[in-house]
Amino acid sequence: MFNQFSSTAETLSKASAVMLRIGTDAHLYDDPEDVNIAPLLDSKFESEKCEALKRLLALIAQGFDVSNFFPQVVNNVASHSSEVKKLVYLYLLHYAEKRPNEALLSINYFQKDLGDPNPLVRAWALRTMAGIRLHVIAPLALAAVGKCARDPAVYVRKCAANALPKLHDLRLEEHASDIEELVGILLNDHSPGVVGAAAAAFTSICPNNFNLIRRNYKKLCQILPDVEEWGQILLIGTLLRYVVARHGLVRESLMLSIHGLDNNGFCEKDDLVRDLTLDKGDDGNSDSVDSDLVRVVSKCYIEGPDEYLSRSSFPDTVSSVFHSKETTSIAHNEDVKILLQCTSPLLWSNNSAVVLAAAGVQWIMAPLEDVKKIVKPLLFLLRSSTASKYVVLCNILVFAKAVPSLFAPHFENFFIYSSDAYQVKAHKLEMLSLIATTSSISSILREFEDYIKDPDRRFAADTVAAIGLCAKRLPTIPTTCLDGLLALVRQESFAGDLESMDGEAGVLVQAVMSMQTIIERDPLSHEKVIIQLFRSLDSIKVPSARATIIWMVGVYCSLGHIIPRMLATITKYLAWSFKSEASETKLQILNTTAKVLISAEVDDFQMLKRIVVYVLELGECDLSYDVRDRTRFLKKLLSCKLACHEPADDSVAQEKNSAHVVEHVFGRKLKPFSPSAMHDRFYLPGSLSQIVLHAAPGYEPLPKPCSFVFEEQDQLSALDSQRDAAADLDGSQESSETGDEDGSSDYDSESSIGSEFSSNGDERTISNDANDPAAPLIQISEISVSTDQEELRSKRALDLWLDEQPSTSSQTSSALNSNQSSYAKISIGDIGSRVKPKSYSLLEPGNGNGLKVDYGFLSEVATISPLHVCVEVLFENSSEEPIVEVNLEDEEAMKVSDSSEQTLVGKANASYNNVPTIIPMEEISCLEPRQSAKRLIQVRFHHHLLPMRLTLHYNGKKVPVKLRPDLGYLVKPFSMSIEEFLATESRLPGMFEYSRRCSFTDHVKDSRMENGKDKFLSICESITLKVLSNSNLHLVSVDLPVANTLEVATGLRLRFSSKILSSEIPLLITITVEGKCTEVLKLTVKINCEETVFGLNLLNRIANFLVEPSSSTTS
Amino acid sequence: MLQCIFLLSDSGEVMLEKQLTGHRVDRSICAWFWDQSISQDDSFKSLPVIASPTHYLFQIVRDGITFLACSQVEMPPLMAIEFLCRVADVLSDYLGGLNEDLVKDNFIIVYELLDEMIDNGFPLTTEPSILREMIAPPNLVSKMLSVVTGNASNVSDTLPSGAGSCVPWRPTDPKYSSNEVYVDLVEEMDAIVNRDGELVKCEIYGEVQMNSQLSGFPDLTLSFANPSILEDMRFHPCVRFRPWESHQVLSFVPPDGEFNLMSYRVKKLKNTPVYVKPQITSDSGTCRISVLVGVRSDPGKTIESITLSFQLPHCVSSADLSSNHGTVTILSNKTCTWTIGRIPKDKTPSLSGTLALETGLERLHVFPTFKLGFKIMGIALSGLRIEKLDLQSIPPRLYKGFRAQTRAGEFDVRL
Repeated sequence: MFNQFSSTAETLSKASAVMLRIGTDAHLYDDPEDVNIAPLLDSKFESEKCEALKRLLALIAQGFDVSNFFPQVVNNVASHSSEVKKLVYLYLLHYAEKRPNEALLSINYFQKDLGDPNPLVRAWALRTMAGIRLHVIAPLALAAVGKCARDPAVYVRKCAANALPKLHDLRLEEHASDIEELVGILLNDHSPGVVGAAAAAFTSICPNNFNLIRRNYKKLCQILPDVEEWGQILLIGTLLRYVVARHGLVRESLMLSIHGLDNNGFCEKDDLVRDLTLDKGDDGNSDSVDSDLVRVVSKCYIEGPDEYLSRSSFPDTVSSVFHSKETTSIAHNEDVKILLQCTSPLLWSNNSAVVLAAAGVQWIMAPLEDVKKIVKPLLFLLRSSTASKYVVLCNILVFAKAVPSLFAPHFENFFIYSSDAYQVKAHKLEMLSLIATTSSISSILREFEDYIKDPDRRFAADTVAAIGLCAKRLPTIPTTCLDGLLALVRQESFAGDLESMDGEAGVLVQAVMSMQTIIERDPLSHEKVIIQLFRSLDSIKVPSARATIIWMVGVYCSLGHIIPRMLATITKYLAWSFKSEASETKLQILNTTAKVLISAEVDDFQMLKRIVVYVLELGECDLSYDVRDRTRFLKKLLSCKLACHEPADDSVAQEKNSAHVVEHVFGRKLKPFSPSAMHDRFYLPGSLSQIVLHAAPGYEPLPKPCSFVFEEQDQLSALDSQRDAAADLDGSQESSETGDEDGSSDYDSESSIGSEFSSNGDERTISNDANDPAAPLIQISEISVSTDQEELRSKRALDLWLDEQPSTSSQTSSALNSNQSSYAKISIGDIGSRVKPKSYSLLEPGNGNGLKVDYGFLSEVATISPLHVCVEVLFENSSEEPIVEVNLEDEEAMKVSDSSEQTLVGKANASYNNVPTIIPMEEISCLEPRQSAKRLIQVRFHHHLLPMRLTLHYNGKKVPVKLRPDLGYLVKPFSMSIEEFLATESRLPGMFEYSRRCSFTDHVKDSRMENGKDKFLSICESITLKVLSNSNLHLVSVDLPVANTLEVATGLRLRFSSKILSSEIPLLITITVEGKCTEVLKLTVKINCEETVFGLNLLNRIANFLVEPSSSTTS
Repeated sequence: MLQCIFLLSDSGEVMLEKQLTGHRVDRSICAWFWDQSISQDDSFKSLPVIASPTHYLFQIVRDGITFLACSQVEMPPLMAIEFLCRVADVLSDYLGGLNEDLVKDNFIIVYELLDEMIDNGFPLTTEPSILREMIAPPNLVSKMLSVVTGNASNVSDTLPSGAGSCVPWRPTDPKYSSNEVYVDLVEEMDAIVNRDGELVKCEIYGEVQMNSQLSGFPDLTLSFANPSILEDMRFHPCVRFRPWESHQVLSFVPPDGEFNLMSYRVKKLKNTPVYVKPQITSDSGTCRISVLVGVRSDPGKTIESITLSFQLPHCVSSADLSSNHGTVTILSNKTCTWTIGRIPKDKTPSLSGTLALETGLERLHVFPTFKLGFKIMGIALSGLRIEKLDLQSIPPRLYKGFRAQTRAGEFDVRL
């Protein structure tokens, strides 16, 4: 009846929707290309330009590439309309990096705009100019930033501060100090808005240049409350880092309260802790401060958890405490006092990130009794958006783990609302089970009862687990918990009948597990519960719950008086049900019957034996491999028991041993398992790393306490050391050429490790005579443990990335530590002379009337600019006629030279971006038959994968050819020492690290040919040769674990370093060998590089050429 | 710092991408993200920080629109989340709501706003009143103008004066013919009633919302009659900390227009204005459910728009519910909503009916949670009272207005 109305209503709403869209840019988004954009861009009407630009932006928004309009858009940069200008800037920033040449055209306009009286125009011009990211204009941009940093308008100065990280991002080594100086100027600005942006610049440019902070510390603290919220977040962190670096941690703070600097101090702290507990109205029964955990936390903050955990495997270093020299007292230190004073009102900030940052400062620096004041603000954050709620909870959890009493009185805040997201619910549960005290547990348990009936069964299962945790922590409540759980198990086992409800199984399993953990603590007093559980076996259908109960039968079979009497019945039941069980349960039945048999009394022994034999027989013909294997194993193990007639009948002497083994396997008493806090990872509060639980790239723990000592001399010495390092580098390069420098340096000196061919000053090994097999080419040297660990740390970063269990990874690392503490360094003779670059064909004689053109990449550095690559081109005339006027030219260069735009480009600064992409070769005027000629060209590739189109002229003809870039030559050798290598590597973990595996066969042929030669050496040589003949790298080191036997090459590790030509970004390559010397080796190639795409491509390239067998390299 | 912001529609389409730094983020990351959120269950969607293989992702979801920000390096995650929330607030303020069409229709404004709000991955201008001066919100006039003339710029030529002053939230010299200032106490009641009918937790989350239309540079002080009941508070950046610390007075120079001056929390309330009494009995595959709703303690004002919604458990195959007052709707995802409105004088609203369980299930073992909604105008249930609002220099024709209202926040009644 109301149909017609509803349809009218529908049309009406449609109509109103159309009405709403009128006047918006809807049509532009829907059909951006329904008109021809190009003429609009050149229109003389601003409105048409505007529309065209909007259409382009719509295409960008939808993910299309419209960079081909770039030249036309750039022309509009001179427009006077602010909207057109804004849109042009938006477009420019999106594409500038792709079209550097055209982007240069806009520079003049920016320069002009920078002098505009309108601050908004100046700011826009600066933002865009700095955002264009071209090395060529970087000096200009830097000058502009310098000018704007002194601009009268606050907004422009703020934009100048924001522009600094953009310039820093371009890695302008030569301007680094200028940029830092500008940061200093802006930090000193009197406007809070500028200071906030400058703090952001500081954190991303020079987070450890504390000198800049020192100058303005007091002022920064005072201005902090007025800085806008985003700047506050970063400024708080910066000030905290400065205070720690300058003065160390605070003696009264939580971080140090537990360390006990001296005996007196310790007692005092203890009182404080007790006070804190009493204040809270707690009954004093619960642990107020988990001192072990606090120690781990504070250590983690200072050192970073990866470093700390890896070291914690050595017991002697764990106990090291902070020296009292490295600490300070709040009573005497003004700086600390001011920091605490100025951050505490920020706990009232509207921005949750500011609150958390301020809470972090209080947590680390504030005296123990003041830490309380972060509690309420943190709890208030739980009322903010779902997303921030989750992050805040993650951080509160860490605080609560260390000091449960802080949050114990506020348990009601963690009660769960039905609208909470699952993760929030799970965190709240964990929180509740952490902070439950004897006084609050009853209300918490009542809440838990409610949660168990929640429709979300995963959450219900988590609740059951939390009940187990609570019962474990608080000794008084297990009985209540157990009763409740038992009732739940009974109820669930009914509900579990229904197949459709898979969530129920989880609850049931969790309930049984929780009961098990509770019982474990005191089995004797819970005997009745155990019996009830056994009785419920019949009704419980979920395999893993059954398996757990059956396991308990085995463990508690000799407990008390009643259970041993029940055993016969239970085992009979188990034997009866064996056939219909899941294999998980079958395995447990096998184990349990065996355990029961071993602890059996005389009366039941015969009967039990028959049951075990029966079960074993069933197990032997089971379908599952595992069950069959287990059966066979048990049968063998129990053979002595099964053979004898009395349980204590061990008369046969030789069987006594096996009986012992059996006892050992099954009779072992359970050790209560307590999760060790040592394996928790802690990162600074409020950091991303704390949420994702691995060190995100760029994460830095607090600086070492008192590491920043301000003295003029310090600066000088820092400069000196820098100069020294530079000198070292030079020296190493020289030594690689002459081979006789640094003769006096010892094994661990930087220069000897860093040099390519010199080996610890031993003249003989440096000799160019690589064919001398007798020369001892392997030296044993102890690489200090610290380097070793750094290497492991980077490895573990990968592990964490792969979400491996923290405990296992630390175990493996300690195992590795003990196994591979020493490495042999292998020096390889003169490889350089044997490196033969590969050549590619540019033109086949068939296509070129007999002209054959090949090209190969040279490792030499191009003279014209660092971006160019040297390519050697070999022309060969295989025809019978002479070929004249042979030349190679850039296809595009010819076109451009026709157009007038060339002049425009030429006007800009003489820098290498304006250098033509190809330095043409000298023309070959005539090539006689069978004659060949070599020419050198220098080429700059636009993209590391795309071929360059060239035109080959000969005999007056033009032939288009493609010069394909070889990724291996788009990098240049970057010599570094092994320490530098490891340090750089550790800075590039996680997503900057990728590896691939491949096989390697070259050495097999090699070793056959040169039989007398050392196998490792020949492997190293063949790998190095292969790598160096296919790419332009620097060999850093070759390591071999000393523990290896002669045949096994596993652990052999080669390190290469390089820099990407175009961006100067370092790129590290590590090749790890696995396998036996004489067989096919498995290589793992790992690349660490910030330029992800390039790195991955190069990785593939390396893996490819390593796999393909070569014939030329062995000659 | 943030590298890129994506706006995704509720079907996973990338509506907009804004690259923030030179390190371009390919939009394939969105495809990865969407695949993950489809293949995994809801818990992925509610995870605000995600470590993808190449980037760290921060996400918030507002009205079906997913705001996705990417970073490759360490940065405070709350900063990213807060910023995204701020973007969502500003956008919905500008566009008059948030949905796929609105974002697409006004994509230019969204671009311009994003460009102004964040520079090189670091927030630049986020104060709504300043933004409004820099980029004009779309309104009917500008729309008509653009239809008629085809040309209407929404980008301002001049820098807002507030952007650089020491009170960045306020334009320097706004002029009003009549000076008005309104203070609203808007409170939300969070409560949990457990299965025994006990009030486990009841607290108020409140905000002091102001709308100030004052000329010049006014300096205001606002004081409460009973500030001691406040458990905890957070302030707008304009509030000076010192006067609050010493004698709990709010002293501030207000932004222009509407803003949230402070938010606060009052804990441990003893009573709720409305009671909900659910009962359920189940036997041999069917459940009888009955819910009574009534006024527990009369706040003295009318309780309006009372609603009760709950999610039927999965094991319920069909439901037949009816009420003696108001309307009951059951959506296909088993969400029931009972819209009561005002409670009539003559009867107690009740909902009753039967739920049929899935075959094989004898009785219900999981129970729904009822979420209560209500609104009471003219009263702040926390009992917080504003004592006075003073202006340092009183302008001519000053009008001060005070209002209060309370509505239900997270009000859970468990069955």
